[in-house]
Amino acid sequence: MSEDDEDQSPPSDLRSQPPPCSPNKSRNCISSSSSSQTFPDHVLENVLENVLQFLDSRCDRNAASLVCKLWWKVEALTRSEVFIGNCYALSPARLTQRFKRVRSLLLKGKPRFADFNLMPPDWGANFAPWVSTMAKAYPWLEKVDLKRMFVTDDDLALLAESFPGFKELVLVCCEGFGTSGIAVVANKCRKLKVLDLIESEVTDDEVDWISCFPEDVTSLESLAFDCVEAPINFKALEGLVARSPLLRKLRLNRFVSLEEVHRLLLGAPQLTSLGTGSFSQTHQSEQEPDYAAAFRACKSVVCLSGFRELMPEYLPAILPVCANLTSLNFSYANISPDMFKPIIHNCHKLQVFWALDSICDEGLQAVAATCKELRELRIFPFDPREDSEGPVSELGLQAISEGCRKLESVLYFCQRMTNAALVAISQNCPELTVFRLCIMGRHRPDHVTGKAMDEGFGAIVKNCKKLTRLAVSGLLTDQAFRYMGEYGKLIRTLSVAFAGDSDMALRHVLEGCPKLQKLEIRDSPFGDVALRSGMHRYYNMRFVWMSACSLSMGCCKDVARAMPNLVVEVIGSDDDDENREYVETLYMYRSLDGPRKDAPQFVTIL
Amino acid sequence: MEGYSRNWFRDDKASVYNSEEKKLELKLGPPGEDGDGSSMIRHIKKEPKDKSILSLARNHFSSPSTTNKTTSQKRTAPGPVVGWPPVRSFRKNLTNGSSSKLGNESTSSDVLLKNQKRDDGNGPEKLMQPKRQGGLFVKINMHGVPIGRKADLSAHNSYQQLSFTVDKLFRGLLAAQRESSSFGEEEKPITGLLDGNGEYTLTYEDNEGDKMLVGDVPWHMFVSSVKRLRVIKTSEISSALTYGNGKQEKMRS
Repeated sequence: MSEDDEDQSPPSDLRSQPPPCSPNKSRNCISSSSSSQTFPDHVLENVLENVLQFLDSRCDRNAASLVCKLWWKVEALTRSEVFIGNCYALSPARLTQRFKRVRSLLLKGKPRFADFNLMPPDWGANFAPWVSTMAKAYPWLEKVDLKRMFVTDDDLALLAESFPGFKELVLVCCEGFGTSGIAVVANKCRKLKVLDLIESEVTDDEVDWISCFPEDVTSLESLAFDCVEAPINFKALEGLVARSPLLRKLRLNRFVSLEEVHRLLLGAPQLTSLGTGSFSQTHQSEQEPDYAAAFRACKSVVCLSGFRELMPEYLPAILPVCANLTSLNFSYANISPDMFKPIIHNCHKLQVFWALDSICDEGLQAVAATCKELRELRIFPFDPREDSEGPVSELGLQAISEGCRKLESVLYFCQRMTNAALVAISQNCPELTVFRLCIMGRHRPDHVTGKAMDEGFGAIVKNCKKLTRLAVSGLLTDQAFRYMGEYGKLIRTLSVAFAGDSDMALRHVLEGCPKLQKLEIRDSPFGDVALRSGMHRYYNMRFVWMSACSLSMGCCKDVARAMPNLVVEVIGSDDDDENREYVETLYMYRSLDGPRKDAPQFVTIL
Repeated sequence: MEGYSRNWFRDDKASVYNSEEKKLELKLGPPGEDGDGSSMIRHIKKEPKDKSILSLARNHFSSPSTTNKTTSQKRTAPGPVVGWPPVRSFRKNLTNGSSSKLGNESTSSDVLLKNQKRDDGNGPEKLMQPKRQGGLFVKINMHGVPIGRKADLSAHNSYQQLSFTVDKLFRGLLAAQRESSSFGEEEKPITGLLDGNGEYTLTYEDNEGDKMLVGDVPWHMFVSSVKRLRVIKTSEISSALTYGNGKQEKMRS
């Protein structure tokens, strides 16, 4: 489960960098034709290399690389996993010039608000230039992990052909490819261990991609295709599972029925993570399989998801595994409190819980009573409209905070909230690092007092001292932002919608939150003054998104002019004379290689 | 600006601008459509009319912050807003049972406009297609090759070009399939797709579900009616074209 997981993003250094590494010299050769390196330097280099190769953390590596040129060089030689938080922050060529021995790449593309249709399609984030550059530079590449990238079938084909040792492909929130691309990967990547398609849009090319895996024993450890909206060849899947002895994680799509899951489980009791597919029975039969027995045999299952078309009468079949579960995702299942409570009652070890609000406050209270180890909670709306019923409220979330003191991460959609509840939550859960609250009605105040939600969010930023990610909602004045600026010293990601009164709000944040990396704002009355007030920060941020605010073209141009390493994109502005000044969407980010060359027509780069 | 705390959001209902803009608000789809899913119109589509309000506002008020408020105010009028609440499309249209299966299968279409989002049941979004640049991609499947490909018909001008593309796309795949039967075979070009002389022939399925030989009608007519392409063995032409329009072959067991 990876919907917007937090990530550790190091500061990028736009400060002067040493020139790209000089051509490789033989490491063991003391004298070399063109270098001025002396003997001690070579020894030092070797020693450094042997030491630095143990350094895993990105932040540590970035720090090490800044010590001196030699450290820069050796670090670059020994970095095997590269994380790029914004694919447009640098060109593929720069990557391959600096890092010579990359085996694993994590690459992120579109900004998150693109998920909600706030950006036209075809904006960019194409994987193509990356894969073609890496095909030549890193033939030993083993792992590619992409988020919000546009990946075509041809890209996947090139990947499959170019990297004979390829092991892991993870595509999160990606699009642009179909089952034919997946088929090529399945077929050609003979050493594949991980094929995880998560929340991606995969077109149905009517290809039996499951049959494309090689006939002999596979190295598969994880196969996730729950987002693939296409039927699969179940017989082929059964065969694949049977010849994948290392398989531990299997996430099926909704085209796999309960009977079929049953058969798979009987053949693969060693699974640790299961996405159950539809969880509905397609045929009525006299002899119903003993589903509970199949689950009982799965002694290792700790993570359960799926339930895409749940038939609730079969839910109790999972009871035998509940006691072992650390992660449970019910977020596709419309489960009532009565169905839910008997299940959750057994889940004492649960740490991660995703569900629909159909479980109501009552269900959340049951979670609070049982799941003392809970770290992460996500409650999604069954009916995601502003004026829908709202079966959960402040009561449910407050109950969770009282029962689950180790809570670290919250995503909560509701229709009603109170400041008092937020204050209580902030006091109950000091470990909170991620707090994302979506009160679905825009500008909705505290439903008991009628006041703005300033004090509640203020308490969150003040009391949750480890908070790194915050999303706010409801009726908020500038005061809320004053609190954020004053107390939100560790905040890295901030998401704002329909909030604030004036430029001061944004100024508080830009001036007060030194760690701010990712700022996404929509429909809030922030204008030029606010934008200018952040200029000292933008080189130290990954991106700023502002849509439907009050920015003018003139100001954006000024910013672009003043900050040459900042790419300032204006998206979708009308170009008729009347309002040439108005900026519909601003998306700006630092870049080492200047503006991109693949911007579509509706993007203007200032 | 700090001291200025007019509660414009409270005045929503009373505001003259609010009712003005409501009348002028552009929408695709029937009035009263709910939810963010239906209003896939991007914000900017509302702009032409809203901007007149914006300039009205500018004339009335001098302080920029007020203009800010008006700008935001018009966006917060009752009515669906794009991307709000921020729930991704695959999380919408959740059902309790298997009824959603039918809806999803019937929306699966063969002709894919480049980069088209496949949101189920979001009719208004499909209306956005004319605005997009991009190709006309059709799927091509070949007898004996499990992996299908796609081709952009808008990048082609003639049947010859298309035939060339098919050869390019499938030559390697076909050779790979044949490896086991006769080793050492080089990649043979796939020729004679259009004239019946080759081992394979190019056929297509049109928008009425009929299967036809490629090449009989003028190119532009073909492009406008083709849904998908199939490369079949020449020896099987008569049976392929006569039998079955198939419903898409599903692989359910």
